[in-house]
Amino acid sequence: MPLFGKSQKGPAEVVKALKEAVNGLEKGDKKAEKAQEDVSKNLVLIKNMLYGTSESEPQTDIIVAQLAQELYNSNLLLLLIQNLNRIDFEGKKDVAQVFNNILRRQIGTRSPTVEYICTKPEILCTLMSGYEHQEIALNCGTMLRECARYEALAKIMLYSEDFYNFFRYVEVSTFDIASDAFSTFKELLTRHKMLCAEFLELNYDKVFNHYQRLLNSENYVTRRQSLKLLGELLLDRHNFTVMTRYISNPDNLKLMMNMLKERSRNIQFEAFHVFKVFVANPNKPKPILDILLRNQEKLVEFLMKFHTDRCEDEQFNDEKAYLIRQIKELKPLPGH
Amino acid sequence: MSETMFNTNSSVESALPASPETELVNRIFSVESDEQLKPINAAENAEIWLADGHGVDQLDGLDDDLDTVNINNFFHRVDSDQIIYQTKKKQLKLIGKYVMGDLLGEGSYGKVKEMLDSETLCRRAVKIFKERKLRRIPNGEQNVRKEISLLKTLRHKNVIRLIDELRVPEKQKLYLVLEFCVGSLQVMLESAPGKKLPARQAHGYFTQLLNGLEYLHGARVIHKDIKPGNLLLTLEEVLKISDFGVAETFDLFAKDDTCYVGQGSPAFQPPEIANGAESFPGFKVDIWSSGVTLYNIMTGQYPFEGDNIYRLFENIGKGEFTIPEQIQDPLRDLLIGMLRKDPMERFSLQQVKQHTWLNRKPPPSDYTVPIPALKNDKWHNMTVLPYLYSHYYEDLGATYDKDGNLTEESEYFTERELNAAAEQLKQLTEQTNGNGPSNQSSSNSSTKRGRRKKRPLTCIAVQKFSFCKQS
Repeated sequence: MPLFGKSQKGPAEVVKALKEAVNGLEKGDKKAEKAQEDVSKNLVLIKNMLYGTSESEPQTDIIVAQLAQELYNSNLLLLLIQNLNRIDFEGKKDVAQVFNNILRRQIGTRSPTVEYICTKPEILCTLMSGYEHQEIALNCGTMLRECARYEALAKIMLYSEDFYNFFRYVEVSTFDIASDAFSTFKELLTRHKMLCAEFLELNYDKVFNHYQRLLNSENYVTRRQSLKLLGELLLDRHNFTVMTRYISNPDNLKLMMNMLKERSRNIQFEAFHVFKVFVANPNKPKPILDILLRNQEKLVEFLMKFHTDRCEDEQFNDEKAYLIRQIKELKPLPGH
Repeated sequence: MSETMFNTNSSVESALPASPETELVNRIFSVESDEQLKPINAAENAEIWLADGHGVDQLDGLDDDLDTVNINNFFHRVDSDQIIYQTKKKQLKLIGKYVMGDLLGEGSYGKVKEMLDSETLCRRAVKIFKERKLRRIPNGEQNVRKEISLLKTLRHKNVIRLIDELRVPEKQKLYLVLEFCVGSLQVMLESAPGKKLPARQAHGYFTQLLNGLEYLHGARVIHKDIKPGNLLLTLEEVLKISDFGVAETFDLFAKDDTCYVGQGSPAFQPPEIANGAESFPGFKVDIWSSGVTLYNIMTGQYPFEGDNIYRLFENIGKGEFTIPEQIQDPLRDLLIGMLRKDPMERFSLQQVKQHTWLNRKPPPSDYTVPIPALKNDKWHNMTVLPYLYSHYYEDLGATYDKDGNLTEESEYFTERELNAAAEQLKQLTEQTNGNGPSNQSSSNSSTKRGRRKKRPLTCIAVQKFSFCKQS
């Protein structure tokens, strides 16, 4: 880095300098401006060690290992994330880049940073709460999604109380933050199939109570996205148990039937893909059957006129025809 | 007959069996790549000529009765120097909004060609089904319809995506527009030394295979025919699972994944199918064939072999195999786990995903097998481009030709001229080593001499002509 003169500082020195600078920034006294400068400078140094620059290669494995070790020992990762909002614009991006690189580091089959974060779950919690602050939300988002790729970290996040904040984050008024939060949310719920299935089974009531609110959201995007994700979750074979449970609840059926009648055609269409599962269920519980029977004629009539212009979508038309037949043939359970 | 490229002075039939044809290089593009295209184009054009020139009924007759007809009555002999050849134009062909390019490969149902979406400018591949051919294959039409409706529901990075579907009833053809891939893992293996891949590369592809498979199994789809030949690669080295011809989807409410039919490629079938079990767990079929695939790309060999399908199935049925010495743990353990004879003991997809070998990227090797070149073009240039050039810049070439007075000459010529030109080319190549593009620029500074210089270029096609005739 010719810009900063002969900067052959070792990892230990850079980390120490950065830590001091971040602490200075945290205090926010009159030296804050100088601290800001130091933070940026040292972040660039660390980033260049990991990624290299146009003139220099990334540092050797030994140096990077030393750097990682220093970062763990100094607890700097957490400190950086906690003070992310105080760091300048470029610096925020550098933090995310450094964090993600260190996270991906492997020694043999081990991922030391993942192991480290497992012992410091407050890093993940701080990252998740990053969605509360507009100026750092997107930086935290990229770090969170990188973390979500690791099953161990995804597990901590799913099972933490903070996870339920996502139901709020995906609805915030700033569209880019809401979308970013939703993609992280979706990643957590779909990436590791077995983990997700187990999580949904164990926390079924709590999760779907929250989820219900998304489906009833005032916000069109939230409603549509969450309905689509619900369809994906239910139709995934891994979530078989969750699906059977979901389609046994008459309230869920009512909700879907109402969504079939929504003004938005896209929402109608997504709702159709959830609704069909209720009807296709070969072992419909009595409350579900009752609702369907009560609305038998209306449903048939409704479905006959439902999205008739989708003539090129064979799959959809087959499914619709199947549903109409099924509903027509519905009979009350014996003994009634 | 848009693509006809030779006229004879006798009946058309006489030209058919020998298929003499030539293709002159359009001046705008380089010669090398076109030369490679030659044999393929020959076959392709003959076929198009057939399909367009005759009704289908007549065509069927031709196909079947060819050897029973008295050749002398059927074919009218023409001396080669009487034949006048015409330069082949890269005739632009549009199917819907797609511009047709060159052949990428051929499957049992038909050809696969490159296409360009003229609206989005996306490169696509198109699988062309001839309904006539399809009808001859048992369950052909039904299977294709099943495959199409299945493909429409699937969307994952590692599963081939169906983008569009076009039917052209006049031609009795069905076009499936797919994501653009450059070839299969099988083709790559064949180009690799020892027919195997370096560990790092194999690891990368295998991980992608597992991701695609996890998605498919989540969507209750059993592929049943996982093998290197059905794993396509894009230019970005993204693996795409393709060919769902024998795939099975089971019901949303099915209790388990029990299957009753197995019909994939023999060498990749599990013991339960080889032994003719009446029913078997479906997901484990894909695990087995992925195991055979991994074995194959890591060693260049197959765990089970046999002179014929009976021997092969006998060997698979026993479930005994050896792993070459150089394969060590943890990979060895993974292969053993995936190739367990008893499907219940065989690894599940989750077990495979969490296996030590998968969680550790093998160290980079000094060698990676490149994506195989298509017709010697290792850069995989868009093959649609020449057609567009010739369509839009043809007139430009003609104006040059006016003062050169060579327009006529280059369109029709006889074999004698070709031979002479070939001779000339030989001499020229001994003198110079200039390549296509540089020749081209010099000829564009069109004096009469300049035009003469261009002749050698057209002569390159002459070599191709003789080459082609033999085939």
